[in-house]
Amino acid sequence: MNVPSRREYRTVIVGAGIVGLFTAYHLLRAGAGPVLVLDRGFLSSGASGRNGGGVRQQWETRATVRLAREAVAAYRRFGADFGYNIWFRQGGYLFLGGTDADMARLRKVNEVVRSEGLDARLLDPAGVIRIAPELNPTGIAGGAFLPTDGTLYPFPAVWGVYEAVRRLGGEVVLGLEARGVRTDAGRVVGVTTDAGEVTTGHVVNAAGGWSAEFAARAGLSVPNVASRHEILATEPLKPFLDPMIVRLGDGLYFSQTMRGEIVGGLSLPHPPGTEGGMPTSPEFLRAFARAMVGLVPALRHLGVLRAWSGFYDDTPDGLPVIGEDPRLPGFVQANGFGGHGFMLAPATTLRVARSVLGEPTDLDPALFSPGRFRTPGGPRPAEGLQLG
Amino acid sequence: MDTAPPREYTVNGAGLRSAPAVPLARALSRRHPPLLQRSIRYHRPRAPFCGVGFCTGCLVRVNGIPNVRACTYEPRSGDRIRTENAWPSSRFDLLGLLDVIFPHGIDTLHGFRRPRMVVPWYHRVVRQLAGYGKLPTPGPAATPPPGELVDRPVVIVGAGRTGRWVGEQLNARGVRALLLDRRAPTQPEPALEIRSRTTVAFLPPPAGTTGRRFRLVATQPGSSALMVRAESVVVASGGYDTSLLFPGNDRPGVLTADGTLALSGDHGAPPFTHAVVVGGGQRAAAMLDRFGEAVDAVVAPGAIEPQVTARATNLGVPLYPRTIIARANGHRRVRSVLLASRGRGASFEVPVDAVVLAHRRLPNNQLLFQAGARMSWRSIPGGYYPELDPAGRTSVPGLFAYGTVAGGAGAPADASTLAECVVTNAGPWPDPSPSIVEEMPNELDGYYREFLDRPRGRGKTIACACEDVLLEEVEEASRAGFRGIEVVKRYTSLGTGLCQGRYCLPDALLLLAILEGRTPPEVGYIRQRPPVVPVTLGALAELPEPAPESAA
Repeated sequence: MNVPSRREYRTVIVGAGIVGLFTAYHLLRAGAGPVLVLDRGFLSSGASGRNGGGVRQQWETRATVRLAREAVAAYRRFGADFGYNIWFRQGGYLFLGGTDADMARLRKVNEVVRSEGLDARLLDPAGVIRIAPELNPTGIAGGAFLPTDGTLYPFPAVWGVYEAVRRLGGEVVLGLEARGVRTDAGRVVGVTTDAGEVTTGHVVNAAGGWSAEFAARAGLSVPNVASRHEILATEPLKPFLDPMIVRLGDGLYFSQTMRGEIVGGLSLPHPPGTEGGMPTSPEFLRAFARAMVGLVPALRHLGVLRAWSGFYDDTPDGLPVIGEDPRLPGFVQANGFGGHGFMLAPATTLRVARSVLGEPTDLDPALFSPGRFRTPGGPRPAEGLQLG
Repeated sequence: MDTAPPREYTVNGAGLRSAPAVPLARALSRRHPPLLQRSIRYHRPRAPFCGVGFCTGCLVRVNGIPNVRACTYEPRSGDRIRTENAWPSSRFDLLGLLDVIFPHGIDTLHGFRRPRMVVPWYHRVVRQLAGYGKLPTPGPAATPPPGELVDRPVVIVGAGRTGRWVGEQLNARGVRALLLDRRAPTQPEPALEIRSRTTVAFLPPPAGTTGRRFRLVATQPGSSALMVRAESVVVASGGYDTSLLFPGNDRPGVLTADGTLALSGDHGAPPFTHAVVVGGGQRAAAMLDRFGEAVDAVVAPGAIEPQVTARATNLGVPLYPRTIIARANGHRRVRSVLLASRGRGASFEVPVDAVVLAHRRLPNNQLLFQAGARMSWRSIPGGYYPELDPAGRTSVPGLFAYGTVAGGAGAPADASTLAECVVTNAGPWPDPSPSIVEEMPNELDGYYREFLDRPRGRGKTIACACEDVLLEEVEEASRAGFRGIEVVKRYTSLGTGLCQGRYCLPDALLLLAILEGRTPPEVGYIRQRPPVVPVTLGALAELPEPAPESAA
């Protein structure tokens, strides 16, 4: 058990989260097996099992809007394609602005999103309340809304892709750690694991919050930094809230799941890195509760059921890292999703798979390539809408 | 107290009165537990099961506030209480048809995907079915009282027999500890500082190097939250009676020994007239002592101890050792149970109106898990206990465990040793050796193996009552290759409801061990997510701001 069945694979993917599994799926669909996916944890033990399930298409960068639109289409088809119901419900994403600066940012996002043909709307405070009547209007300067954004259940999405990968002949070994990457003449030739070495020409780093750690094991330094984010779920209530709500400023976000729970979080600064594990802090419970009670006063009487936390894999410019690392041929990066890996996964992983196959992708290297951080001057902050 | 006027309130519009300090569920229990609740998915009738404020058998809406537990809520005059999640009433609920239409459950994981045009409508309908109560509609909001910050050298969680012993022993050494207890106050104890109706919901691992080691968050229903800073924490949170798997195991009338005691009060009659008591040990004996007149049979998954046999013989109650509970019959309440001797014995029916579960008492170990104490599995009774040194020190510096939760009887002499250690806190913190794991297999292991092999007949076996997860769904997840309790939890949503897994995980662990062909500790345990009991956003919002401290 927990041992790969072969000694040689065309591609080894490190991380069995949604990014790793979807990448394996695309590779196998292209007939590029055999593929091995490794994860030292259990299925959904990382961010793929810890996120709030939001899927949005409102972004500052045009390229991300396009990827997100593709992802939404894929998630709409998911039930038919993968046999699992992910309950993707398009209740919209409602961004709340509290200041002129917030509204300026939302206007900028709105222009980009509209120019991509999506029906995004800018709202005055009254328009916000029409969409979410339970909100306390105090402090709301306006909002932005896109009705085709939505929320889904992350778990069945993971189960569905996991089963599809296995159906297509892919191998997923859980509870097995990738210890390092073996190179020969400057390119990837194998992966060492706790169960010995496997030979492969391609390694995909889809380790999420631990991607910098795994890159280091391949001798590569990357600017990715893991940041811990906390989240909680409340007792289930009958449905009263359709959209996902995200507030600029404090980063409060919440939605009501199909089960009726309010699931949400808030940006709190935590020491960077994965060393502290994934605890919950009383400070988070207090800060989230204060923000929620202020925004939806009726929820003062609602009980918090459970809280947990997970890691975002952040990059300096707020955009993911996709493609072969120029320093180590055969080492493909698929990380740095900054808390948005799940919502973009069906689209981004198609590009990861193409990179593995050595095919060109439509991604702008200045925005997404692993090499962009080492170009003169470095990358500029590109995506500012890092919330929810 | 005797002269205090009765409380007058309404339940679904009907006027009711009861003595002060009597929980609503007890006030509504006559000869049966009250049918207050419909379950979340199939709208099955539910009544109080645990009786101690954890399960979802008795949620009601009080003055516009949803999901209030009738088993612990003491009504006040003028209260307007309504049942929720049922139409037109919890006795006759139209959506109860779902239970009949889907005898093998609704597969929300694979179903409702086609045709795609209809999917949004599925979403609408299924979404309407979710949730227990509606959005709170409280009256004009009073300014919530600010949370309280208390600082004590020692906090004792649990003011039962053993917690009080530790408190007294500390007193004798000149240390006044704060005792927190989730129950209503019992006899006054002037020598001890006891806060009743105070549930510790969150005990994070010790933080930082400055200030007190621990910060506990406690909830006090109807009042503000409490944050306690302490240097040492003694967990003496006791134990609870857990559930058992059989078709109809969620029927009104199936309840734990805890629940029976809670619905009876100190001296009252039990909420049944003809019960079968499940269990062959001390707890079953206690049930016979207290409610013997209303007990028609004692059934045990394994052997029956002499203490139970002696009592049952005196009372003329028949004993059924090594017997499988094949089904509880009845709909809105239990009418009979179907029993079968183990080893393929023929089944027979016993007409009873209650099933009292007194077969397995487990530790209230959630806070120890949260605080990061190293835990080890004991096959009898089948639960996780802290690894301790002889003084009761866990693997976490400053954290002690004592009494039932520590897996011991809790002798007064041990309380003295523990108190001495708390006071002196001398020397480096030892690394407790793992407790000796008993080699005897859990009797429920063989029991469940037989149970799984038997044809189960009609009726749902509820593996997780809060989320209405069926035993079949757990078996299906296992068959599909999803292994380990953490994954099965996420696959089936077992253990994600309001009781935080107290009443489903113990059986699920034994079950998965059988299905996966490994031991329960290999199946693992879920990470104990805070809070231990639901804490309202309002209470959390008023938590006192902790002084800045270096991060964990």
